[in-house]
Amino acid sequence: MDLLPSDEQQEIAAAAAAFLAKELPIDGVRARRHEKRAVDPEVWARCANLGWFGVGVGEANGGVGYGLVEEAILFREIGRGLAPGPFLATSLAVRAALQTGRIDLAGALMAGDCFAALGLPRDPDAAVEDPLYGAFDLIDDEGASVLLVAGPGGSALVDVSALGPVKRLVALDPASRLGRIDLTGAPATVLPHADAGALFERGTVLAAAILAGTAEAVRDQAAEHARTRVQFGRPIGVHQAIKHRCAEMALRCEAATSQVFFAAAAIDGDRADTGFQASSAKIVATNAAVDNARDNIQIHGGQGYTFGNDANLHLKHAHAVAATMAPLRWHLAHLLDLVPAE
Amino acid sequence: MDLDFTDSDRTFRDEVRTWLAEHVPREGRPTQRAAMRAFDLEWQRTQWDGGWAGISWPEEYGGRGLSLTEQLIWYEEYGRYDLPDIDARFVGISHAGPTLMARASDEQKAYHLPRILKGEVVWCQGFSEPDAGSDLASLRTRGHVDGDEMVISGQKIWTSYADIADWQELLVRTDPDVPKHKGITWIICDMHSPGIEIRPLETMEGESDFCEVFYNDVRLPLANVVGEIDDGWGVAMSTLAFERGTAFTLSQVQLSRIVEDLIDEARDRSAPDGRPLIRDEELARRLATARAEVASLRAMTYAAISRSRRQGSPGPEGSMLKLFFSDAAQRVYRLAFDIVGQDGLEYRSRSSAGGWSGKYLYSFSQSIGGGTSEIQRNIIGERVLGLPRG
Ligand SMILES: Cc1cc2nc3c(=O)[nH]c(=O)nc-3n(C[C@H](O)[C@H](O)[C@H](O)COP(=O)(O)OP(=O)(O)OC[C@H]3O[C@@H](n4cnc5c(N)ncnc54)[C@H](O)[C@@H]3O)c2cc1C
Repeated sequence: MDLLPSDEQQEIAAAAAAFLAKELPIDGVRARRHEKRAVDPEVWARCANLGWFGVGVGEANGGVGYGLVEEAILFREIGRGLAPGPFLATSLAVRAALQTGRIDLAGALMAGDCFAALGLPRDPDAAVEDPLYGAFDLIDDEGASVLLVAGPGGSALVDVSALGPVKRLVALDPASRLGRIDLTGAPATVLPHADAGALFERGTVLAAAILAGTAEAVRDQAAEHARTRVQFGRPIGVHQAIKHRCAEMALRCEAATSQVFFAAAAIDGDRADTGFQASSAKIVATNAAVDNARDNIQIHGGQGYTFGNDANLHLKHAHAVAATMAPLRWHLAHLLDLVPAE
Repeated sequence: MDLDFTDSDRTFRDEVRTWLAEHVPREGRPTQRAAMRAFDLEWQRTQWDGGWAGISWPEEYGGRGLSLTEQLIWYEEYGRYDLPDIDARFVGISHAGPTLMARASDEQKAYHLPRILKGEVVWCQGFSEPDAGSDLASLRTRGHVDGDEMVISGQKIWTSYADIADWQELLVRTDPDVPKHKGITWIICDMHSPGIEIRPLETMEGESDFCEVFYNDVRLPLANVVGEIDDGWGVAMSTLAFERGTAFTLSQVQLSRIVEDLIDEARDRSAPDGRPLIRDEELARRLATARAEVASLRAMTYAAISRSRRQGSPGPEGSMLKLFFSDAAQRVYRLAFDIVGQDGLEYRSRSSAGGWSGKYLYSFSQSIGGGTSEIQRNIIGERVLGLPRG
């Protein structure tokens, strides 16, 4: 047993962090907020070159051949750097395409020639069938080729061309684009039941990894501000009101990141309690991200309330990510229905 | 101790109710800044014309000369309707006005107070600076006397409505060589003076309600000093006590309406299993708690007004009201955000219909503006409970 990243895994994280800081800096979220696509297509292509959309896909299928642990390590960095864009949707869509024999689509997604959007069912338990009915919120659908739906009700791919007109909405999160649609029988490529469940669990862990990264980013931003912001002649971090808040933030991160790795390792190791571990990760990471983001704003005072400060971007993104892979309420109810962990 | 309003209070309440019902503005508040200013002032003027401006202000300044009880009744009735927030009128009505009444010269009062009540002017508050927020007394914007003028240079920040304001309550450092609380002067600044540059800042809620204000050798007449030169801290403290005291009454009444709206939302919306959301035990418990907290907020307001009537001014207990209010408001708007669920992915401004996501974002300012919650806790610990100072 070893729940800490190996040297090689740490290198994956460091390389991803360096790439994101250079190519997808958080300022871009503000700069591109009125663009149709949250990510510059050229940068997206470079992410594809790094193999990011096939990290957990076997080499025989054109992927990198790592496990979910490595993928979670990457997604934690994506959360930490607040990299906008359909990373989660595209990585899951690759897997869904392979499982349904759509090899060309998987290849095109991995190559960065196209990307996927997430379809969040308004009712997380509604059955995902072909043809597909129901109301969906669409994340990053503008310019996407395919819509990925992955939830407790099943998983499927829907070609965007088959969607019909999408209602455009202003997203709370400037790092994502939002649409809404009522599907009235769209043709869908539905995953077999077992594959769909596994995909949903993987997606749940990856969403949790992004959220754990958010929690860590704002912890660091808060601690830095507490060390350097001077009021009453001393750094504000000398006050326990601030110091203890920062300590709580650190605690939430430790819990969230550990549980994300545990859940990812559980899936890689084919344990029986993967659903239990994945839901636990999503719950703890959601709370860590949202609570830490809130505390970070407070610690920043007036600055924290401005759009120009990163603090608000993390909060908004945390809420957007938390809504994916079934909301908190669903995971809370679901976790109690499961048998205890192994 | 009793909760009974007198016959004349009841008559007053009826009059307020009748008038408000007839004068609810039909249009929403515009977002374009000049139009917003016009809208806010127009609404103030309507109240003035109806005889409802400055209910508890002395008659000599154009007020009604009534007590805080009538003021409370007005706010209670006002809060029942979806009426415009106090917004750009806040500083004039709840800050600068009360401070001027307490500390200004007769000429200053005679000039400014009626203009505030008649809705002719917008005031803003120039206290905070980049390096002087919680530690307000460390402010560095300089004011030096030159003949019969004060010359101002420096910078303020987070000044709400500076871009549409006519006047500002401005704190400047006039003596840098004495302990920081001395050597500060409270001066009335004409926002149209040469040398003032205003840069709006975008908030996380999406509005540009506050600004950076730069002062480049701005010349103000010495006659604009309120109180004595170098005695501005005492003047400022009377303002802050007001901000933390009865100025919250309207917000409190509005919050209670919001909680009732939310309860309706929870009845109307259904969970995925088809049952109304209000049947969700966790949400139901949080809603009930919110109702109770908002009820006690009203009780605290009554207590604060009663205390104020006996003592003449709001005491440090105002900090408790502010802290309890901002905590409760943040919980309520977070609850709202949880109730609307996936709808919250869409941004809707706080003043629009169904603007729960905007209201949620706005609620983050409640524990920062007007003195942070940490600072309120320090005040409560030190001034209410007598704990040692940190
Ligand atoms: C929406 C909004 C509107 C505003 N409008 C105005 C306005 O019109 N005019 C105006 O002058 N100002 C205005 N302000 C500014 C407001 O008063 C300041 O933001 C506030 O006083 C905090 O100062 P700061 O931003 O410098 O934060 P800081 O003082 O730097 O505080 C940072 C953090 O440190 C904490 N902290 C600081 N000192 C202590 C301590 N001793 N003990 C424990 N914790 C501490 C704070 O609580 C906070 O969490 C507004 C602010 C907001 C958010």
